[in-house]
Amino acid sequence: MVDSGLASEVNEHQRLQLQFQLFQESLPKVDETVYRMLLNEAVPLAIGVERSLNHLEEDSTDQLETDLNSKLTFESQELGASHKLLQEYMTADQDQQIRINTRLENIGFQLGQKLSQLLIFSNNPNLSFKDMDLLSVMKFVCRDVWKQVFGKQIDNLKTNHRGTFYLLDYNYKPIESFTLEEDLSDQEQKMMEPFLHVPCGMIRGVLASLGFEKEDQVTCQATLVEAPDSKQAGASAFAKSVSFNVQVLVER
Amino acid sequence: MAIYSFWIFDRHCNCIFDREWTLKSNQSSGTTNSKQNEDTAKLLYGMIFSLRSISQKLSGEGSHNEIRTISTGKYRAHILCTASGLWFVLLSDLKQEDLSHVLRYLYSEIYVKTVVHNWFSPVDFAESDSEKRGQGVRKIRNRSFLANVERFLGPMVN
Repeated sequence: MVDSGLASEVNEHQRLQLQFQLFQESLPKVDETVYRMLLNEAVPLAIGVERSLNHLEEDSTDQLETDLNSKLTFESQELGASHKLLQEYMTADQDQQIRINTRLENIGFQLGQKLSQLLIFSNNPNLSFKDMDLLSVMKFVCRDVWKQVFGKQIDNLKTNHRGTFYLLDYNYKPIESFTLEEDLSDQEQKMMEPFLHVPCGMIRGVLASLGFEKEDQVTCQATLVEAPDSKQAGASAFAKSVSFNVQVLVER
Repeated sequence: MAIYSFWIFDRHCNCIFDREWTLKSNQSSGTTNSKQNEDTAKLLYGMIFSLRSISQKLSGEGSHNEIRTISTGKYRAHILCTASGLWFVLLSDLKQEDLSHVLRYLYSEIYVKTVVHNWFSPVDFAESDSEKRGQGVRKIRNRSFLANVERFLGPMVN
């Protein structure tokens, strides 16, 4: 009697495990590396588009010549390697940098809007958004959205309960392996900046699709910060921690 | 275990990384990406290149035959050639029979993670056509690559 009970329990456990495995296998899958690289490549893309547009503006004064030139050479299509484009971001003037960052935020915004549809309707039928307050929406961003996009949750969420949130990610995945030469830490931080605008836009997009959609209702800024436990490790182990500061204006 | 030096060559016949340890007792001794090693790098490249083509000729038509180690009276060279044309070369003493797992780790865990996934670093180290014929002098200099190589190979020096 005892034996058979134990056996059936094991079987039950095995059955559940098998079911879980089958469920995992049935989920749509894509290679993580490729997806991450694609997400990162959005930044050189934005810089490249901005540059091409600039060239176009300059050239429009001399229409005939450009037409001829573009037929004779391939230079107008040539954009160069990604790391060169990133170097270009460093030397670009402020206006251009702002335009690049807006472009990136818009990419993130679109991504966020669509992502929340996916997460709500296909992955998480149990989540009810009807009586969700702002805090649980932000929790949704920290848990589900981050898990889906970066494979981990946000490490720390702080709020003043009046619409200001600090989301701390102590190891922001996309910029994990980005380093320059030894002593160029300032330049390194500057070059990482555009990579932070995509998740900013994404947070805004998710919030917009969940009812916080008025213009200028949500502002999001990201800054690189020092991780709390990296101080003893020294500057050489510069951890890629990011703090997202989200401000939401809620009318009463 | 004793290793003497570590080299990476790219597909344009350039040496893009070199690290040579001079003192067995000191893991941080020696040179990294030094100009003095340029000639040694060329000689090493030439040796591997010719032995590689010999081994491929001797294997007969059709079958693929990659060179793995070269032993001389004083040292042994361990070689890993990737399909993208990178050569990872490790010089060690004669006691090391096969360090191919070390080379594979250097490639897949260190090079790929700190150079290929690093958006600030070029993947192809020859920037203009003039550098594509073996005259390039660009090296891998990014901080995390250097640190990781040092951390991984350092304990094997003595």
